[in-house]
Amino acid sequence: MSSHPDLSRRAFFTALPAVTAGLAVPAQAAEDSKPHWSMLVDTRRCIACQACTMACSMENASPEGEFRTVVATYAVSTQEGKTGLAVLPRLCNHCEQPPCIPVCPVGATFKREDGIVLVDGERCVGCAYCVQACPYDARFVNHHTGKADKCTFCSHRVEAGLLPACVETCVGGARIFGDVNDPQSDISQRLKAAEGKTRVLKPEAGTNPHVFYIGLDDQLSGRVDGVSAADMMWRPGHQGG
Amino acid sequence: MNHPVEILGFAREAAWLPWAVQYFFLIGISTAAFFLSLPGLVWRLPAWQGIGRRALLAALVCGLTAPVALLADLHQPGRFLNFYLHPNLGSWMAWGSFFIPLYLIGLLLYAWLCLRPQLAALAERGGQLSALYRRLAYGGHDSPGAIRAAAVVGALGALLILLYTGMEVMVVEARPLWHTPLLPLLFAVSAVSGGLGMVGLFEALIGQGAAAPLINRWQERSQWLTLGLLAAWLLLAVSGLAASPADALAAMRGSLGWLLSAAWLLGTTALTLWLARSRRDVLLWPALLALHGAWLVRWMVFMGGQNMPKMGASTHIYALSLSPDSVLGIVGMAGLCLTVYIILTSIIPWDDRAEA
Repeated sequence: MSSHPDLSRRAFFTALPAVTAGLAVPAQAAEDSKPHWSMLVDTRRCIACQACTMACSMENASPEGEFRTVVATYAVSTQEGKTGLAVLPRLCNHCEQPPCIPVCPVGATFKREDGIVLVDGERCVGCAYCVQACPYDARFVNHHTGKADKCTFCSHRVEAGLLPACVETCVGGARIFGDVNDPQSDISQRLKAAEGKTRVLKPEAGTNPHVFYIGLDDQLSGRVDGVSAADMMWRPGHQGG
Repeated sequence: MNHPVEILGFAREAAWLPWAVQYFFLIGISTAAFFLSLPGLVWRLPAWQGIGRRALLAALVCGLTAPVALLADLHQPGRFLNFYLHPNLGSWMAWGSFFIPLYLIGLLLYAWLCLRPQLAALAERGGQLSALYRRLAYGGHDSPGAIRAAAVVGALGALLILLYTGMEVMVVEARPLWHTPLLPLLFAVSAVSGGLGMVGLFEALIGQGAAAPLINRWQERSQWLTLGLLAAWLLLAVSGLAASPADALAAMRGSLGWLLSAAWLLGTTALTLWLARSRRDVLLWPALLALHGAWLVRWMVFMGGQNMPKMGASTHIYALSLSPDSVLGIVGMAGLCLTVYIILTSIIPWDDRAEA
């Protein structure tokens, strides 16, 4: 038997009766080996509904206009003229070599043993150096607190045996969260099944992200050499009227 | 495959606001002005003595105000204590929190030692402030050895400031415009241009202009160096020899804003160079243009660099507004500089007659 809870979506719902009965799933885990939380995003299942964006905002009380996770959406055309939808759910990559940690002048950003990268709000001075250093634009300075903010994999929920809010709400099951140290976990199984087909964002940055993608369009994995619809749209606030 | 159209993108707004531009501008000018004061005040070279006094004033005005801009960028000034309570010595910014006081202590000590004889002379003249002057003069001795020692501390602090301000920005790989070894050099050289500009401005305001040819000769050299560094960056970017400059150039391609900004920077740098070279006796215009150039380099690097998307195609273009973080902050810092200038020039005469 696995030594850690399988926090994939399916396993979560399977275990739901036990959770509701007060038998929290993490309580069953014997601490043989430490978990390493990761996320697998299957872009083929994402319908760009932004339910994850909203669930995250509600769960973490993000200020208006500031998001810990988003789903960037693109219209991609082939040479034959066929146009389709491409999506890129984005969040903190909880990198194995996070560039945000060494730059922090006060050591407020740290990586836990379970792989989650967090910000100590008591220590953070809001200098935004980590915001600059993150290659994935995953961080921002929270307008309410004036401190660095980012996805925490909903560590408060994970510690309570729950899934991150974005995973729980995803209607297509595109986000799979779990312990990659547990070979029996859903994420480990899926990563194994998709071996050679999973990608990470900006591998050239050498950060070793722990958010993996299936079906990631190469040209969307970093700065996109394209146009933004926002620049083409009429915006009353900017153009008047 | 054609270029994708980003239907729904999420661009982050600039995290380093104009406070950063102002801090890097003022501290760079202060350190450069400090170095410009050395030939006149430490080595006592006659041709540099007037410049030395104006340079010391510039170093004080900019050095005393620069940290205010830095504190303002922390959203809550008291947070600076955490820099000393929990320093992460792997971060250039953490080192900066130690280099700034080192430089300022050295600068203030150096300034006081240089000004002691004059403070004693002012006390001798009598008047309402004579007791204050006498106390500040603390004997009024001219102590060349002590001045040299304080200058060494100040110079060490100034060099470390120039090093850390450049390295702090250069190490950010995620920003392709910043991630180049040329950046610390560009910051240092443009700081010297700005320092010469500020000294030239003060020379025009309170000096007799005799030092104009000397200032312009150095201004010409610094402008040549600036143009050389910009050309080197462009060469690296176009040739693809360095990945980050090439990435930055690719992100700028097709942007009218970047094209106009680059043309403006090159044009004004060339104009400053031409004025400094062909109008040796003119102080004000080359000085103002050099200050403008030092500001523009930092504005383009910080605000322009943050406009470039790390992910996706959307940009969050920074626009000036009438908020405390924007225009009001810039005007406020200019007002603070002016206030410090007025206080210092009201208490101590900085012109050549005072030296005599």
